[in-house]
Amino acid sequence: MRLYWRVLVINGAVLTAATLALVVAPVSVSRHPVVSEAAVLGFGLFLMVVTNALLLRSSLAPLDRVVREMASVDPQRPGRRLKPPDSGPGRDLVLGFNAMVDRLEEERSMSNAKQLAAQEAERHRIARELHDDIGQQLTVVLLGLKQAEQRAPAELADELAALRESTRDGLDDVRRVARQLRPGVLDDLGLASALASLTHDFAEHSSASVRRVVAPGLPPLSSDTELVVYRVAQEALTNAARHAGASAVELSLTKVGDRVVLEVADDGRGFDVRRDGAGLRGMRERARLAAGDLTVTSSPVGTTVRLEVPA
Amino acid sequence: MRAATSPAPARILLADDHALVRRGVRLILDQEPDLTVVAEASDGAEAVDRVRDTEIDLVILDIAMPRMTGLQAAREIGRRTARGEPPKVLMLSMHDNEQYFFESLKAGACGYVLKSVADEDLVSACRAALRGEAFVYPGAMGALVRDYLDRMRRGERVPETVLTEREDQVLKLIAEGSSSREIARALTISIKTVERHRANILAKLGMRDRTQLTRYAIRAGLIEP
Ligand SMILES: Nc1ncnc2c1ncn2[C@@H]1O[C@H](COP(=O)(O)OP(=O)(O)O)[C@@H](O)[C@H]1O
Ligand SMILES: [Mg+2]
Repeated sequence: MRLYWRVLVINGAVLTAATLALVVAPVSVSRHPVVSEAAVLGFGLFLMVVTNALLLRSSLAPLDRVVREMASVDPQRPGRRLKPPDSGPGRDLVLGFNAMVDRLEEERSMSNAKQLAAQEAERHRIARELHDDIGQQLTVVLLGLKQAEQRAPAELADELAALRESTRDGLDDVRRVARQLRPGVLDDLGLASALASLTHDFAEHSSASVRRVVAPGLPPLSSDTELVVYRVAQEALTNAARHAGASAVELSLTKVGDRVVLEVADDGRGFDVRRDGAGLRGMRERARLAAGDLTVTSSPVGTTVRLEVPA
Repeated sequence: MRAATSPAPARILLADDHALVRRGVRLILDQEPDLTVVAEASDGAEAVDRVRDTEIDLVILDIAMPRMTGLQAAREIGRRTARGEPPKVLMLSMHDNEQYFFESLKAGACGYVLKSVADEDLVSACRAALRGEAFVYPGAMGALVRDYLDRMRRGERVPETVLTEREDQVLKLIAEGSSSREIARALTISIKTVERHRANILAKLGMRDRTQLTRYAIRAGLIEP
């Protein structure tokens, strides 16, 4: 029943009851009411107000509760929904609210996905430009300086050698930035090589040992999905290196049914998975991009990040 | 046949899609009496054609080229054995990533030179390739020797090796990912000396030529057979 009708019915019922009581009851009010009459009137009025208040309150209380609960729905932790009451005005409100949150989350995840995709495309473009244009130009300078150095008078040779070293540093920087922006190995050599490269980097920068298992004969993934798998593996390994204090880490890529499963497991100290940060949220969003499922399980003896994507 | 005292310089084909890079590399190689660039190509397919119609001892291939990448061209060139032994192949690359090195080995190349050290390393890499030795890209050394150390730690039988104390120090630093420059600084020796140690270590670990190196990398699980 609509809220307007409910309030109208309650008020109407109370007024009707009062009117009926006046008609039926053997009371009359003099032109100059005496004290006893005023008392009866006052009592009647009091009764009316209290009845009205009680009825309205029991009817509206679910609304208050719903409003309080609405405030607790946090856009940062999607997926939480209010439980609709069995009946009453609160039910419609909660159902409507839940539907709206559904739409908002859908909208939000779509715009996040779009944003991520746009960001990756832009990174790709910049990385390519760094490699193909700036990198080649610097190579030309490097080789030219080497030539010049050999033919230059002795007093210039040192200076040219120093310039050549700066050029080399510049070239190294360009390459490093390009590599951070976009793993060229993923485009050029495929996911297995890109994951191998990640574990190689991990081994180089961490004291933990790392094992990599890539099952043979995995179904081919779209390049967008491969990028998602790569980025999730990258973040999971970064977390394992930075937070876990692990002594062993294992990365595996296998097939389960017609889905491809990435797992990054460490034997570190673990953490409370409900307290996630930007990294874990990013992994979730990327998983959604690839229509995949991400699960993180953690205990004091280790953490496992598991990503399942459709082939 | 020329006089035995100055053998004919090795004939090199240079493939890179960037004309100015080609020119720079060419100037550096042509300065060496034992090397001469006899042909150029601006993409992989053209390189394969040149190998077919020119007598070439060594091909230098840029990895990123249009039409046919350097890796594809290397595979193709290794296959052309109609005129006897195919030329040696050396990759030249912007990518500082060991995966490209292993992929190059698989494609038949015997060396991998980063463009950012081409001014220093290219000539010696060419000579190593022409001698039939491998030129191991420093970034991949870490992966190779880490596997060796792992196996030694597990008590597995490893190739009979007697590394000198210095070589052992260098080996550990390489495994930790240090560059030649960093190793030179840490041990207060010259970069040239570090490089000599590195070559000796590779030889002692049985990774002198492409075949040995590839076999080692496969056994270490660094490349798929
Ligand atoms: N593998 C792990 N082992 C232990 N703690 C972890 C691990 N991964 C994440 N954490 C904890 O969860 C927090 C959030 O991680 P994340 O969302 O990646 O953000 P960030 O890495 O930027 O701190 C980390 O700060 C860390 O305390
Ligand atoms: Mg993180």
